Amino acid sequence: MNPFTYARAKDAESAVALRRGDAGAKFLGGGTNLIDLMKMGVETPTQLVDINRLPLDKIEELPDGRGVRIGALARNSDAAENPLLRERYPVLREAFLSGASPQLRNLATVGGNLLQRTRCYYFYDPDFPACNKRAPGSGCGALEGYNRVHAILGQSEHCIATHPSDMCVALAVLDASVQVTGPKGSRSISFGEFHRLPGDHPEIETNLAPDELITAVDLPPLPAGARTHYVKMRDRSSYAFALVSVAVVLELRAGTIQSARVALGGVAHKPWRATKAETRLQGVKTGDETALREAAEAELAGAKGYQHNSFKIEMAKRTIVRAIVEAAT
Amino acid sequence: MSTAALKAQSMGQPLDRVDGRLKVTGAATYPAEFHPAGLLYGHLVTSRIARGTITAIDSAAAEKAPGVRAVLTHLNAPKLPEPPNAQKAEGIRLEQRVPFSDARISYGGQYVGVVVADTLEQARFAADLLTVSYAAETPALRKEDALETKQPAETNGEKLQFSKGDVEAALKNADFTRVEQTYSTPTETHNPMENSATIATWESPEKLVLYDATQYVKGAQSIVARAFGLKREDVRVICPFVGGAFGCKGPVWPHTLVAAMAARAVGKPVRIELTRAQMFSGTGHRSATSQRVALAASKDGRLQAIRHQSEGFTSPVGKYVEACGIGSTHVLYDAPAIEFGHTIHTVNIGQSSFMRAPGECPGTYAVECAMDELATALALDPLELRMLNNSPNHPTKGIPFSTKFLGDCYKVGAEKFGWGRRQAAPRSMKDGRLLVGWGVATATYPANQWAATVWMQLTADGTALVRCATHDLGTGASTAFTQISADALGLPTAKIKFELGSSDYPFGPVAGGSNSTATVGSAIVLAARALQQKLADLAVANAESTLYRANAREVVVVGPGRLGLVSNPGKSVSYADVLSAAGLPSIDAEGELKEEKNAKSAFQSFGAQFCEVKIDPDLPLVHVTRFVSVMDCGRVINSKLGASQILGGIVMGIGMALEEETHYDPRTGLPVTRNLADYHVPVHADINAIDVTFVGEPDLQFNAMGARGMGEIGNTGTAAAVANAVFHATGRRVRDLPITPDKLL
Ligand SMILES: Cc1cc2nc3c(=O)[nH]c(=O)nc-3n(C[C@H](O)[C@H](O)[C@H](O)COP(=O)(O)OP(=O)(O)OC[C@H]3O[C@@H](n4cnc5c(N)ncnc54)[C@H](O)[C@@H]3O)c2cc1C
Ligand code: SF4
Repeated sequence: MNPFTYARAKDAESAVALRRGDAGAKFLGGGTNLIDLMKMGVETPTQLVDINRLPLDKIEELPDGRGVRIGALARNSDAAENPLLRERYPVLREAFLSGASPQLRNLATVGGNLLQRTRCYYFYDPDFPACNKRAPGSGCGALEGYNRVHAILGQSEHCIATHPSDMCVALAVLDASVQVTGPKGSRSISFGEFHRLPGDHPEIETNLAPDELITAVDLPPLPAGARTHYVKMRDRSSYAFALVSVAVVLELRAGTIQSARVALGGVAHKPWRATKAETRLQGVKTGDETALREAAEAELAGAKGYQHNSFKIEMAKRTIVRAIVEAAT
Repeated sequence: MSTAALKAQSMGQPLDRVDGRLKVTGAATYPAEFHPAGLLYGHLVTSRIARGTITAIDSAAAEKAPGVRAVLTHLNAPKLPEPPNAQKAEGIRLEQRVPFSDARISYGGQYVGVVVADTLEQARFAADLLTVSYAAETPALRKEDALETKQPAETNGEKLQFSKGDVEAALKNADFTRVEQTYSTPTETHNPMENSATIATWESPEKLVLYDATQYVKGAQSIVARAFGLKREDVRVICPFVGGAFGCKGPVWPHTLVAAMAARAVGKPVRIELTRAQMFSGTGHRSATSQRVALAASKDGRLQAIRHQSEGFTSPVGKYVEACGIGSTHVLYDAPAIEFGHTIHTVNIGQSSFMRAPGECPGTYAVECAMDELATALALDPLELRMLNNSPNHPTKGIPFSTKFLGDCYKVGAEKFGWGRRQAAPRSMKDGRLLVGWGVATATYPANQWAATVWMQLTADGTALVRCATHDLGTGASTAFTQISADALGLPTAKIKFELGSSDYPFGPVAGGSNSTATVGSAIVLAARALQQKLADLAVANAESTLYRANAREVVVVGPGRLGLVSNPGKSVSYADVLSAAGLPSIDAEGELKEEKNAKSAFQSFGAQFCEVKIDPDLPLVHVTRFVSVMDCGRVINSKLGASQILGGIVMGIGMALEEETHYDPRTGLPVTRNLADYHVPVHADINAIDVTFVGEPDLQFNAMGARGMGEIGNTGTAAAVANAVFHATGRRVRDLPITPDKLL
């Protein structure tokens, strides 16, 4: 671990102010990802700005029926048990509860969860020489290495890492927006625009500026009667990252899909909104597994697997079908 | 072996752990938690290549970093003499290379330096500043590229190539049903909660104290003494508690030698605790295996031939052989022709080593899966096939087993599990959408009893202190030894204090091969008998005693803490009275157990493992929903701890079947999954009801307690029971562990 200084902010303004001009500074949320990466020597901040005392841990209704706002410092466990979220966005609760362990969820914040970094083995362990995300230009260690947990959609030859969050997959189908504030003021980023695909800059993972602070995540209301569900496939019954996960929001009429929102986790550098499948699903009967399967096939048509992760393509198709069938029943 | 049976008073009872309170309150001091004055911290620097040579080391920045006291590498470290290849009683060294002896790199993660600093953080920080340059060569990581391939004749004095009868002929016999398949298991790494650690303190240039997380204090003492040219008694090894080991703390690994080297260099105590990642290369692992098994049986299901050919891996710095099935393949079932053999490939991967039920754990996986395939080929129930081939005699030694209740294991297990309701056809049992599978396998592990000496002291207040340089890996050994001591002395357990984990105590062997209970327990009995003899001699010599002038040989324990006459137990005296009459505050005695070979009987434990799995056919994560294990291990010294041992073995076996796998990067040869987020072991949610039952009788031919060890048998047969259940559920035979969801898609 490298030497660093520590400062505690009391509100959003002071947090932003403490970081200003310090390119090596990082905000400290629950620390469940950042501290790990510091111990591994992957993250080497010169300053930690502790934001845990910020009054941003509330989960409350937005005025005028505009939905619910989750403070960036809300803990994953608190969000999972929050009555408002539970009632209105059950898919989010399912996603939270499938992630990490209770101990980690007690510490992990919503803001930190959005920015958690990939679990690519080569990224996480600096003993491996090549990783474009950790050391731009060094190559991608996973491409020809062990790549079981890696991407099948939207990757580039520079990086095949995945975004590992469960929460974010649910946020993707909830059409959330991320509220941020920085030296240049506050703004809202729509969820689809928040995370990026790797392209030739895998070290840049989001469209958040380095000196911007996440203050909240806003969730617009779901259509009345919408069905939601989250299904996670992993290598053991709990405490494992998703191999593939699927979140869905369905509007149904008499067993027929009016509209579908589908997002995949564990398959891409960002939570993957399955727009091709969504289009195909319109008008499909939820009992028609062949049609559901065709929609899933359409989404995965462009998928590409590697030595150890090609199974994800088939697994993703089946998980999409399962999530829809279970959401509908 | 001693035959006079020990009467069970405390033995068999579910006594709570004697050190349970210390452990849950944090008062138990584990080796890395000792804090000798002036303690410094060492952090090991590991190689980023798996094969090649170090061309340069730049330590200037590390040396200048805050708090740094020393940086040792092969360039400046003192050259230790290579300790001779140790025999079992002299300690175990599997990695033969002395650390920092030269510039050669033989595996990824090899130690290339150590940084010693005032704090752990400073040491770790400075370690990152050490720049090591290499001339890398392409590492050999697969058997196709092996540096050397051998078929060694033996390991630890046991045959690695074995043959009885004409296996080839039986396999070619057209009248027989035959199966032949290859089964593979991946590298598995021991992951005890407590990482390996050593604190080294030089009390003088000739005297060294080590607080070392070890399964073998006497072994560490012997090896370290020879490595540093010291008298054995001038090296003290202290290890009162072990936070799990599974075999990785049996050998002396390089970090222990480095700790002593570093402490000598800085003239202060130095602590080296491995990181979890370092545990994946520096303290051994279970070698990956590839096992070809061929079985032939006559139409009635009687085995005619068993052939088991295994391949495994060792490193350029050692010779360890994962001896698949040497304690099981020729012991499990009767067959006129049995053959096994081993091929070992040398690759640039850290030294493989023994891990819980070495050999038998992967070996029973392969053979017991093959038995399942044979049952299918014969259209026989897999349990029936096993029952048919159960034999009271050792199949290759031609002598009877001392006791063997495997038949009862099958029967009781089948009953408890409800095996009779099994529908034979794969995919025929369902629970809603889920496929249900039931599998069975035989468990077996040899009974070992080696040499040990126990010292025992009885004090006039009626309490006893018992000591042996043995170990409690978290198994509850101290509790079991307290119970055996209590029964051997005829005292309540509350009056016994059992001490272990120090090389100051009389010899205890490595806590391995499930030997400790039998070995140390037998030595306890010998010590107690010697002590009672001394008491009897005092009692009959004392004119005031009711036993005055009685024949000392007729004096026995007649009640708690009392000696009396065999013929007239009413005539008795208390231990305390004997001592006070003799004017002695205490009396002590030693019992020395020698290793013996008994040629008349074979000693082996057996069991039956029954497993139920449920699997979603579309999203096939295997859930083990029920497990029934019935074991015959002779007398169970503590029913609660004994069941926990079996249960733990089963959990580990489920992990082996479904989750555990150390992956190596195909270019650098470094372990890729070297942390507990990526290296999966079962979590609570993976484990459901596990029912453990013991059957059988005390094995009094084996020792006075009638107890065979049970530390490892729970880990045998388990993976096969799971894999067989998966086949029954899905109709798919996965012969390559672990059975992760992708393999069933
Ligand atoms: C063993 C293990 C298993 C796990 N399993 C899962 C799993 O199955 N599923 C899953 O989804 N997750 C899993 N996680 C990841 C876990 O969800 C994340 O570590 C956690 O959500 C991160 O939140 P945090 O508050 O601790 O973030 P931190 O570690 O504090 O921060 C993470 C990053 O976010 C930045 N940051 C934090 N808050 C803000 C803010 N308000 N504004 C701007 N930047 C900010 C930090 O600077 C840092 O770069 C696991 C983690 C571990 C250690
Ligand atoms: S996949 Fe991305 S994170 Fe992983 S090694 Fe390649 S560049 Fe690095």
